[in-house]
Amino acid sequence: MNKALDLTLAALADPTRRAILQRLSHGEARVTELAAPFPISLNSVSKHIRILERARLVRRRRAGREHLLSLEQKPLDEAAAWMAGQRNIWNARLDVLEALLEAEDVASSPGA
Amino acid sequence: MTTPKTVTVKVSRRFKASPERVFDAWLDPAKARLFLFATPAGEVVRADIDARVGGRFLIADRRDGEDVEHTGEYLEIERPRRLVFTFGVPKFSKDYSRVSIDIVAMDGGSELTLTHEGVLAEYADKTPEGWGMIFDGLTRLLG
Repeated sequence: MNKALDLTLAALADPTRRAILQRLSHGEARVTELAAPFPISLNSVSKHIRILERARLVRRRRAGREHLLSLEQKPLDEAAAWMAGQRNIWNARLDVLEALLEAEDVASSPGA
Repeated sequence: MTTPKTVTVKVSRRFKASPERVFDAWLDPAKARLFLFATPAGEVVRADIDARVGGRFLIADRRDGEDVEHTGEYLEIERPRRLVFTFGVPKFSKDYSRVSIDIVAMDGGSELTLTHEGVLAEYADKTPEGWGMIFDGLTRLLG
C-alpha cells in the first residue's frame, strides 16, 4: 500500500505525466496521439507512459496493431483519500483545541 | 525514485478565542498534552516544552505499555502570529517534517492556518488507525 502510494506520488510529480493523465481523463488514446502535443520525442513520451503504467495509473490494451492507453482512476482516489486523512488528523487536533478553549470560556464566565 | 515522496497538508480553523490564547495553547504543556499528539488508546506520560527558538519539545504517550515520543525543534516563535516547528516520531522514522502555524485576528476571534510540509507517503498505512484513534479521543473529551 505505501509502496503503491509512493509510486503514485512520484508519477504525479511531473508536468508531462500530469498532462498525459489529463488527456486520458477524456478517454482512451494511442501513444502517438498522446505524444503529439508535446515538444519532446516519442521515446521520452514512452518513458513517461511506462512510469505511469508502473504506478498503475495507466492501463494498456492491444487492438490489432494498436496500443491503446486508458486512465486507471483507483490510485488517484487512494492518493486523494490519504491526503484527506492527513488533513483529518490535524482537523481532529484542532477540534480538541477548540473544545479546550471553549471549556475555559465557560469555566471563567460569571454565573458558570 | 529513491527520494521518498512527501506532500503538504494545509488546514484552517476559526476560533472564538483571541490570537494570543490560541497561540499560547501550542506552547502550554498542560494543553498541548490534551490536543497535540494525544491518542485515547495511549496515555500522555510526558510533555516537555522548551518554548524558545532552538528549543525542543517532547510529548510521549504510552500505548500498550510502549512509549511513543513525538519530538521536534522550534524554528520560529512570534507570539501571537506565527509558530514554526519540526516534527518527527524517532521510533518510526528519522525524518522530520515541518509544521507552520499562522494566526490572524478575525471578527473578535482568530483564524489559524496550519501548513504541514514533508508528510511522508510511507505512513499511509498507519494513517487510518492514527486518525481513528484521535477521533475517539475527541469524542471522549467532548462526551
